[in-house]
Amino acid sequence: MSADIINDGDSKPASAEATVSLPATGIATVERKEPPPEKDADTRRRTWIVISFWLIAVFIGLPIWWNTTTIYRANLPLTQMTDWADGKACEPVFPLRIALDVGSLPEQEAQNLLRLTQHALDDLNDFSGHHLRLQLAQAPAETITPVRDDSNVALTIRLAPGDAAHTASSSLHPHLPILDVQYPPNSLPTANSPSSGLATYIATQLGSTFAEEQNIISYLLETSSITSEHKPKGISQEVVDTVSKRMTRSLKYSQTYHLTFSLFTNGPVPSSWDIEAAIDEYLKPVLDMLKPIHDFTIDTQVQLYAAPGVQSQVLGKEDLSSFINAAEWPLSPSIGGAPTVNFIVYIGNQTIGVPSETSPGETSQSWMIPQWGSVYLLAPPAEATHVSSETLKQPILTFTSHLLTLLARIRSADLLLRASSSLGSLARLTLALPSISIPSNVADGVVKTIHHLELACASLGGAKSLEHARIAEAEAERAFFEKSMVGQLYFPDEHKVAVYLPLLGPIGVPLVMGLLNEIKTWKNKRSQKLKAA
Amino acid sequence: MQFFSFLLTVLVPFVVASAAPAADYHEQLNLKPLPQNSLLASFNFRSNTSLPEFEAHNFRFFPRSLGQILQHAGTRELHLRFSLGRWDAETWGARPWDGTKEGGTGVELWAWLEAESDDEADHKWLTLTNALSGLFCASLNFIDSTRTTRPVMSFRPEGDHPNTTMANMHLLHGVLPREVVCTENLTPFLKLLPCKGKAGVSSLLDGHKLFDASWQSMAIDVKPVCPTGEECVLQIEQTIDMVLDIERSKRPRDNPIPRPPPSHELKCNTTKPYHADDTCFPTDSLNAQEWNLNQIFGKPMLGNCPLTDPKTPPVCIQAPHSRDVFTSMGVEELKEPGNENQRCYLLPSNDEEFHLSLPFMPRDGDRPKTDADEFVQPATPLLYAERSLTGHGQEHGGVQAILTNPSPGAEVEFVYMESLPWFMRIYLHTLKARISHRTGSDAGQTLHDDDDVIKEIYYRPFLDRQRGTQLEIRMKIPPGSTVFMAYDFEKTILRYTEYPPDANRGFDVAAAVITILPSNSSTTTTARRMSNLRTTSMLLNLPTPDFSMPYNVIIFTSTCIALAFGGLYNILVRRFVGRDEGPEVSLVKLRRRLQEAVQKVKARAMERLGAAGKEAKKVEGKSD
Repeated sequence: MSADIINDGDSKPASAEATVSLPATGIATVERKEPPPEKDADTRRRTWIVISFWLIAVFIGLPIWWNTTTIYRANLPLTQMTDWADGKACEPVFPLRIALDVGSLPEQEAQNLLRLTQHALDDLNDFSGHHLRLQLAQAPAETITPVRDDSNVALTIRLAPGDAAHTASSSLHPHLPILDVQYPPNSLPTANSPSSGLATYIATQLGSTFAEEQNIISYLLETSSITSEHKPKGISQEVVDTVSKRMTRSLKYSQTYHLTFSLFTNGPVPSSWDIEAAIDEYLKPVLDMLKPIHDFTIDTQVQLYAAPGVQSQVLGKEDLSSFINAAEWPLSPSIGGAPTVNFIVYIGNQTIGVPSETSPGETSQSWMIPQWGSVYLLAPPAEATHVSSETLKQPILTFTSHLLTLLARIRSADLLLRASSSLGSLARLTLALPSISIPSNVADGVVKTIHHLELACASLGGAKSLEHARIAEAEAERAFFEKSMVGQLYFPDEHKVAVYLPLLGPIGVPLVMGLLNEIKTWKNKRSQKLKAA
Repeated sequence: MQFFSFLLTVLVPFVVASAAPAADYHEQLNLKPLPQNSLLASFNFRSNTSLPEFEAHNFRFFPRSLGQILQHAGTRELHLRFSLGRWDAETWGARPWDGTKEGGTGVELWAWLEAESDDEADHKWLTLTNALSGLFCASLNFIDSTRTTRPVMSFRPEGDHPNTTMANMHLLHGVLPREVVCTENLTPFLKLLPCKGKAGVSSLLDGHKLFDASWQSMAIDVKPVCPTGEECVLQIEQTIDMVLDIERSKRPRDNPIPRPPPSHELKCNTTKPYHADDTCFPTDSLNAQEWNLNQIFGKPMLGNCPLTDPKTPPVCIQAPHSRDVFTSMGVEELKEPGNENQRCYLLPSNDEEFHLSLPFMPRDGDRPKTDADEFVQPATPLLYAERSLTGHGQEHGGVQAILTNPSPGAEVEFVYMESLPWFMRIYLHTLKARISHRTGSDAGQTLHDDDDVIKEIYYRPFLDRQRGTQLEIRMKIPPGSTVFMAYDFEKTILRYTEYPPDANRGFDVAAAVITILPSNSSTTTTARRMSNLRTTSMLLNLPTPDFSMPYNVIIFTSTCIALAFGGLYNILVRRFVGRDEGPEVSLVKLRRRLQEAVQKVKARAMERLGAAGKEAKKVEGKSD
């Protein structure tokens, strides 16, 4: 092109002014020449330079960038965690040892009866998770102490020969785990008979005694995420409903419960009550019984001028849930971690309009609030300013029965499944959110949980399993609700671009262009070489 | 108005119920008109529980929610304050309750915890602040180690503690000067009362009026009290003091926006030379206003709280007996013979609303009334204190406290306590106290015995990010003198994440607590008791960074690196050839093309011009 201009100048000397001005504008007039051939050493050096820049960027730059910007995620035993959640890690078996105290029967006959009863039991029970195992009692159960000491024995059957004319009968001891069976002497099985009436009778009695427990375990396994073959087959819908009602009502397990008894009234009276005496008389015996499992603290308070959340005289079913005026009544959550069970005596003229046939055992004056406590409506006492201990008898007795309902009984299995499902949720969360950071204490918590779960699973049904399950559950909860995980760091992609572009743009472009040039010349050279060849 | 009856002076012999804790619940409202149309309303609620009942968790009048927290945190004595506004001591005089029931702006908490060691005490303190924060909907959980001090000279236990517990009691004190006290703090406060704001004097309390007051302070004090010869009880005393601007609080709630009065209602200063029909210089409307309880509190008082002793009057007013006061029917007025300035009202035991009204008293006419009939002249406080920031720039700061002893005859001894945040690096060697006369012929002159002012200093230096400065100074000011105390500090630059969201607003520095020590030599009764005083809190401006700084830094360094890298890389990788040997650079190419185009246009224009010239010459030639 520049040659054109020069040619122009040559052809038209008349327009010489234009050519005169050109030197000022610089290089345009210079004629193009081929550059001298580059030395091989130079080309090689340039190639090395480009390669070494790239090596530094890839092997030093990238790892540093990666190390400094990755979010710390502690290693979690994810497969183990999901195994637990899916129930693959632990076969929840609740073996119950039942001692057979045969009294004066000879060894041979006793063994025979034991074998037959066990057979009958196995026939009755198709659920492997809950297993009843019979054994002969070591010592006669006349003295109660050995039975109580042996914590592995859940129930002792005391056999005694009864009236020959009657069929077998049985009765549960009111306080001790003893089932008294009276049998007609002729019903004892002979040495070789395949079945026996007495054996079947005992098996059926045992089955019905433990039916409730079995249902609850079945329900727990059914509702948990466990998908293994240990799942019981076919518990009826009816059973599921009753058990689920019980389970959803009950409070979360805790070592200690705060029981708060509150007297609420809409006006200024009554302002005092004999709650201490009433509790001592009607509630203490039950609490003493529960002492080995739970500790209880008792608070009482009187609250005047407390208007309920519902103003109507007759409370409908939907009113019961909003009766507690949570905004104004000082029933604030307890301190120190242990849950509070609230028992409220409300002095007023309100009555419940719903017949409570859905939940028998509840009187028409009280209702229970699942996982929270219960309310008792009390008519204003005759002595206007004071509520006497006798007036409080019925409320306290109702509260006692509610308390027993609120405290669920199947503890270790429940806790175990709960801890497992927490682990599962944590594992799923870890997989679902790749940008969440996992601090090392979460990993520690998970390891501890799994350790205690294993111990609990191994000793399921024993006294230690509750302890282990409790630790496992607490650790799992702590790991799941780790504070630093909750507020996860979130960097939107736009921010990342804004941060990286100013650096990567000016550096990346020369690097990439240099590499491309190098590749191009290398290709050219190769094709020339090929041509030359 | 017909149901009001004007109660003439009915002299009923009556004794003010002493603070004997025998009655389980006690409440009283004290109204005290102040100069310039202000009204001090002091609510006091007190309930007791016997210690065995408290330990057995049986709560009747004592609130369970608070009791449970105190037991859980091993608290033996608790003082909690929520305050707002400034007490104008120049106009309103001495503080109610000698200042013992007020706190610095924001939230203030101090408590005596029973603990074996300091660590245990810290742990319990943490439990206590967290639990109270939930109970009172306040950010008390932000009282961390940097805001906690252990005062040495300033606070003394008010309760009667047995000597065995005294040995293990730890005093901890924390302030949140930034906390905005509002309705959400009043609601839990009222919930602690047995009558819950539904009856009795507490039914007058309303968040709209309370937090609209010129000054207000809510206090909760829990302490064991052992009256001589009686069983020990645990006492909770809840106090609300507020100074209402009567004119302001009389505004109806549905129309709270202040509007200018119509011209015929304007009160003009007629002495001004330019006063005319259309020109008005408004006078300070200092004429006493008429008011009644309903108006200023926004709702009526709903009878008596039935739990109180029926012989204790629930409402008292401290005004000269010459002040007219109307009340509703059936209310008994009690006048103490010795006290000319107090009247109390005993309510009938039914649930009827109680009305109290102070009518307008004409300043002219037959019997003109004066200010002396409107209100009792407020007592002079023992000490005036104000504190302000000095210093200059982003680094050098200073604090100056001006402390004045107004008394002509008595000297005043007190402890001045500051708890400063760690980012105020104070230089104790700069602490100076200058004293000057305020009154008399030598007013303004500096005294020479400066060294005598400061008697004792307790100083616990700050540790960065761990604890703040604690400074306690015992001082004595001679009568009628003013002390100027000043010290310097350096402002710290905080870390990026340590700045609050609105860092440019500034950082609140807690009020200084002044504890006036009882003096035995003094004759006045107030001087014999321990009394308190707090300065206002300060707003400290720290150097604040530009918060987009990280991005700026990233972009700046990136540019530097890119420049250096680009240059270096180019030099290393490029091949240098002669100017005419290399491939043409696109920019040069573009420039050359442009030049070519320009030249072509130029050449064409020249051609045309040349042709035109020739033709013109031809025409000329023809004409010739």
